[in-house]
Amino acid sequence: MNNRKKTALIIGGGVAGMEAAIKIGNAGYQVLIVEKEPQLGGALNKLYSSFPRWENPQDLVDDKVKKIEKCSAIKTMLNTVVTSAERKEKTFIVNLDSASVSEQVEVDAVVLATGFEMFDASVYGEYGYGAFENVYNSLEFEDQLKAMAGKDKSELPQVVAFFKCVGSRDRSKGFPYCSKICCMYTAKQAGVMKDLNPDAKCFVFYMDYRATGKEYEEFVRSVIEEKHVRYVRGRPAKVLPENGKLMIRAEDTLMGVPVEVAADMIVLASAIVPNAKTGELAEMFAAKTDQYGFIEYDSKNPVQAGERVFFAGACGFAVESLGAQHQGAAAAADVVALFNQD
Amino acid sequence: MNVAYFPGCSLHGLAKEYGISVEVVCKHLGINLNEIEDWNCCGATAAHSLNHELTISLSARNLAIARDMKMNKVLAPCAGCFSRLKGASYELRNNSVLAAEVGEIIQAEPPVEPEVSNLLQFIMEDQGLNAVAEKTIKPLQGLKLAAYYGCLLTRPKDVVQFDDPEQPISMDLILQAMGADTVVWAHKAECCGGGYAASDTDIVLDLSGQVLESAQQAGADAIVVACPMCGVNLDSRQEAIAAKKGKKYDLPIIYLTQLMGIAFGYSPAQLGLKRLLTSPFPLLQSKGLA
Amino acid sequence: MHNTADFYHVLRIDQTSNSLREEIKEHCHTDIEMCLECGKCSGGCSNAHIFDITPRKIIQLIKIGEEAKLLKMDALWSCVACQLCVDRCPSSINIPKIMDYMREKAYKQCVPATRPNVELFHELMLGSIKQYGRVAEALMTVQFNIKSKQYTKDAEMGIKMFFKGKLNPLPSRIKNVQQVRRMFRNIPAQREG
Repeated sequence: MNNRKKTALIIGGGVAGMEAAIKIGNAGYQVLIVEKEPQLGGALNKLYSSFPRWENPQDLVDDKVKKIEKCSAIKTMLNTVVTSAERKEKTFIVNLDSASVSEQVEVDAVVLATGFEMFDASVYGEYGYGAFENVYNSLEFEDQLKAMAGKDKSELPQVVAFFKCVGSRDRSKGFPYCSKICCMYTAKQAGVMKDLNPDAKCFVFYMDYRATGKEYEEFVRSVIEEKHVRYVRGRPAKVLPENGKLMIRAEDTLMGVPVEVAADMIVLASAIVPNAKTGELAEMFAAKTDQYGFIEYDSKNPVQAGERVFFAGACGFAVESLGAQHQGAAAAADVVALFNQD
Repeated sequence: MNVAYFPGCSLHGLAKEYGISVEVVCKHLGINLNEIEDWNCCGATAAHSLNHELTISLSARNLAIARDMKMNKVLAPCAGCFSRLKGASYELRNNSVLAAEVGEIIQAEPPVEPEVSNLLQFIMEDQGLNAVAEKTIKPLQGLKLAAYYGCLLTRPKDVVQFDDPEQPISMDLILQAMGADTVVWAHKAECCGGGYAASDTDIVLDLSGQVLESAQQAGADAIVVACPMCGVNLDSRQEAIAAKKGKKYDLPIIYLTQLMGIAFGYSPAQLGLKRLLTSPFPLLQSKGLA
Repeated sequence: MHNTADFYHVLRIDQTSNSLREEIKEHCHTDIEMCLECGKCSGGCSNAHIFDITPRKIIQLIKIGEEAKLLKMDALWSCVACQLCVDRCPSSINIPKIMDYMREKAYKQCVPATRPNVELFHELMLGSIKQYGRVAEALMTVQFNIKSKQYTKDAEMGIKMFFKGKLNPLPSRIKNVQQVRRMFRNIPAQREG
């Protein structure tokens, strides 16, 4: 019998992975977080604000990091990636690679928490992403918001348009699925834009808005009614640079007429797709993936991806930070229960 | 290289200079154009507007002749003809019921074999940019051009399967390979009004007017086309557009092959440049190209 | 069937027919039930600003079987077939093909075209192909001007074109024009009555 303490490997140190680590560590088992970036926090590090409570995402990251640092059972390896893994009965021998060292570790369970990427919006030539200036995807726009904060409003864009469903709900150029979180973060971004520059005109082009979480509907309504963001029902068709502006052509489908907006900036809510490394890692640990590359779930064990392999967060499907924490905690409960039974 | 050649009616008529320059440039590139013997009109907008079977059959006859000439590729420099031939080929390959009907109509085996290419596709896929660059002895330096693709060189994308239908780039690359600059502009793939030039001229004045405005805003010296409908609409309607908008553009509309001919060392006379209504000579002379 | 062509009354959609949708699915190989109702087709349509019925509404009208209204619409005669809508449609619904299908149907049923000149031009072109196998733009333009009673239309431009050597007075008749004429004959009647 091996005297080694039971160890869980968490791949990905975003909010889902951190939550899983904290719960497993505080339950008395060893945890190793492997994060490819130089800091913990994942996508939250890129965000200016969060929905539905207008909170600073950094507060959430800081809270998790503090809990991780306080828990001696958790070891964090930054700038590190998993290069290979081999299953040995009830353990995995895993090879890790960082700039300085290559290392081999033995672990007893794995939680995949590799997160998401944004669909490459340059596929939509009609929106000019990559071809025209001032067309951003939503994650890039969060950086823009950070840069805008504190500036005089005369320096800020006066007309900003947000396009939802870029790559989502599109069987021709993207995916049939709904990316679930775009309706909410787009409302948030338009709202922040109005806070930073109350004179700005913000237009959200939408097919419908999906606000199916606690406080979500109220959140979107407040953006429309209190922050005066203008929602236009229709999917934009084309962006044509004209006289230094980005002329947007769309149909207002409620009126049934073509409309145009001359914008200074356009934000594309690109579809959520799994992180590019997810497929490779899933294969290493014999986790199933679906046709889009997300980790496949089992209806009866929603955070289990295989024998001793669990997952949490957006590697399973688009999810907001609240849901990612729920899933991280659920994966942790599965790991702890498994270790207790071993 | 041997290729079946479908000039279509416009290259014998309103866009003669396109036909002339296509032949000059192809010869220079070592391409043997084998004109489809006794070809018939593709039917253009009229046939597809009124009779689906007719439009497919008119193209099928041409493709069948190309097949009987043992040609596996058809070059159709007119975007309209290309669209009809390519569309027919696509339907004959994917709709066996229709193919059988068309076989009855043309009294021949449905011709599914020949591939159909437009000029841009043919240059990019069969010649390559290097061939264009190597043959360039008179670089088009100093020319700032708006490459205009219009609709049918890249659309519908599932049928054409070439370049990006919204931000096409192939013509820009060909022009750049000859030393020209190309502008980033909005309307490179918007419509000029196509076949409505005679029958509902206002449509063409509206849409072609937007194209001219966009090219001028982007700072282009001229618009380059690879379609006789685009060429004729943009060139010959400039006066009417000016009258309607109260704004004169005077933008030369030059066929891609005319510019290739200049870069390859041919004289303006050999390329029919004098036939263009909006004279390209002041521009070309200012750059030492004519 | 009551008249639903003009919406002066409340539309009883439980009494509408699905048959036009099925007909279009069969003939155009495109399924309008895939429509997400997003309006992308109509927002970027080259001519939506002059259409009486935008492409998205056309799809809605097909769903409720409003054939009479569709056969009369001006969009049939002002669509430039630029293919922007089908390429941008998130479900690749082939609207240009639906336009061709409905126009052909309207033509066969002798529904008056809202733009008779467009229809006339098409007819002259097909006439030229039937007679010569090819088209001569000059001859056709003259014929068109006479028949549409626009005697001086484009005359000035025509003169310029003539001096530029762009106008052939007559199309060159192809050798085997008999074969082309036979093709026209082999195609089922183009117009009823």
